[in-house]
Amino acid sequence: MRDTQAYIERIRRVSRDYQRLELAVDKSLSSMLAGQAVLARRIEKDYEIQHWNPYLRELWFPVEILNSNIIVVERPAALSYQPGQLLSLLGPIGKPFKFRRKLRNILLIVYDTPPTSLLLMLPALLSNDASVTMALMGTARQYDTSHLPEEIEIVQAEDDLSWQDMVMTLGWADQVFVAVGPSNELKNFADVMRLVRQRRNDVPANYIFGVFQKQLPCAVGACYVCMLRSKDGSKLQCIDGPAFDLTSLRLEN
Amino acid sequence: MVVEITRPGKTSLHLSTPVMPAAGTLGFGDNYRRLLDYEKLGAIITNPVTIEAWNPASGARLVPLPGGILVHTGLPNPGLKRVIQQYRQTWEKLPIPVLLHLVGTGAPHIKQAGEMLDGLDVIAGIELGLDDDLDEDQAFTLVSAAAAIEKPLLVRLPFYEAYQLAPAVLEAGADALVVSAAPRGTARDEHSGRLVRGRIYGPLVKPMVLRMVGRLRRQVPEDIPIIGAGGIHSPQDARDYLEAGAVAVQVDTATWAQPKMLERIARDLGGWIATRRKDALMDEWHPDMSQTEAAQRGGRSGRIG
Repeated sequence: MRDTQAYIERIRRVSRDYQRLELAVDKSLSSMLAGQAVLARRIEKDYEIQHWNPYLRELWFPVEILNSNIIVVERPAALSYQPGQLLSLLGPIGKPFKFRRKLRNILLIVYDTPPTSLLLMLPALLSNDASVTMALMGTARQYDTSHLPEEIEIVQAEDDLSWQDMVMTLGWADQVFVAVGPSNELKNFADVMRLVRQRRNDVPANYIFGVFQKQLPCAVGACYVCMLRSKDGSKLQCIDGPAFDLTSLRLEN
Repeated sequence: MVVEITRPGKTSLHLSTPVMPAAGTLGFGDNYRRLLDYEKLGAIITNPVTIEAWNPASGARLVPLPGGILVHTGLPNPGLKRVIQQYRQTWEKLPIPVLLHLVGTGAPHIKQAGEMLDGLDVIAGIELGLDDDLDEDQAFTLVSAAAAIEKPLLVRLPFYEAYQLAPAVLEAGADALVVSAAPRGTARDEHSGRLVRGRIYGPLVKPMVLRMVGRLRRQVPEDIPIIGAGGIHSPQDARDYLEAGAVAVQVDTATWAQPKMLERIARDLGGWIATRRKDALMDEWHPDMSQTEAAQRGGRSGRIG
């Protein structure tokens, strides 16, 4: 974890709703792995903070790492950024995703959120010939996937959050990663778990992981705002996460 | 520089810099070790600790506000005994005094805490946090129990009751006043649509607490040190507190928003300076003392005063 400076080198519009920012960053961030993130805040000339609104930094998950000092993040197109804009980045935050050995089929469930936190894993998975299915649920169905790699199978869920062949998809998947919107994450994860349990007899440990995207005030395990309760005691999203085995978490709120 | 932050006596507490983190912002130990130079701080105040373990609050714990935040963590902690077991070694390695923030949950609990803390040299002092709903008698009882512990005692006054409780707290034996805890407030969480109660942090808190420090400085005896805490986000904010009559300051959530700000304030008030190398490029200079600090690049840094 370091506090480093970066600047926006290039901005590309990738879809109607999203743009990608190429950030020139400190080398310590170029070795980030899928699951890790940075806390970003815009800074002004002379690296001073001119105002405190927004007060906290934003949690940014890289979606691509281009070379030793360029990472790419995906941000809503409605937000205004300028090439050359200076940033202060805290990171890397969290632990990389743990993938099963001999992973062949992976299912990504995205519910009421863009899939940003899950995108960095795609190049490595695809280059290892893994099959990737991405199920979009709730408002995530509006996410334009045309800029994602063609090899990914995209499934649009129905209003009841199910999709055709859901039983088969869950049965084939060696591992599942779930990202949900920030509105009551625990309840949303519980909803997804209920769906999975209805369609799969056995949900083993280390099969389905929830990726938490809660706003992090400190990111170093000091403030305890991101504390979760699990069967093994308390866990912190910023230190132990962002991915947690959903069978081990206490999802009741 | 030596700053005495408790009233003179057998157990008075001296710091090398009049700047500390506020309880609840820096964790129990050295969570910020990779981002801050702890040696530049006067002391560390631990996250709030209770005798029994407390679970985190359910529901929303953070509500962004314009220019600030509302935080409601529920003060999760594993209980005093486990906190000591878990962090004792870390505290022993820290180069600065450690003050333990004890939540005032009742005189019997304070007494129990005293039994665990009395022989524990690594804890240099206690900061007792008082709840907003206490009356003077209850505050007197709690502080009296804490004053029986053989350690310097700082008492953090609740924001809304600070003037009312201060005389009782001092009569009960507090060695210093921390003015004040962050104000309580209520805000709607846009995600859940629910109202959330918690404490409010941000630069706007400073003018309110600054006035409070000034008034209390005139109200309480001169030998009672006051430590200003609330809304400090720059060295000038901290200096304003000293001008209003505080002997030291506590920096709260500014550390979360810009971690190096705490160290920068501590350097400023502690008499440390760092010079910018004459030919430093823009991105080699970071006013918040990032890794590109001038001193590390061969520039001169030093201490004045």
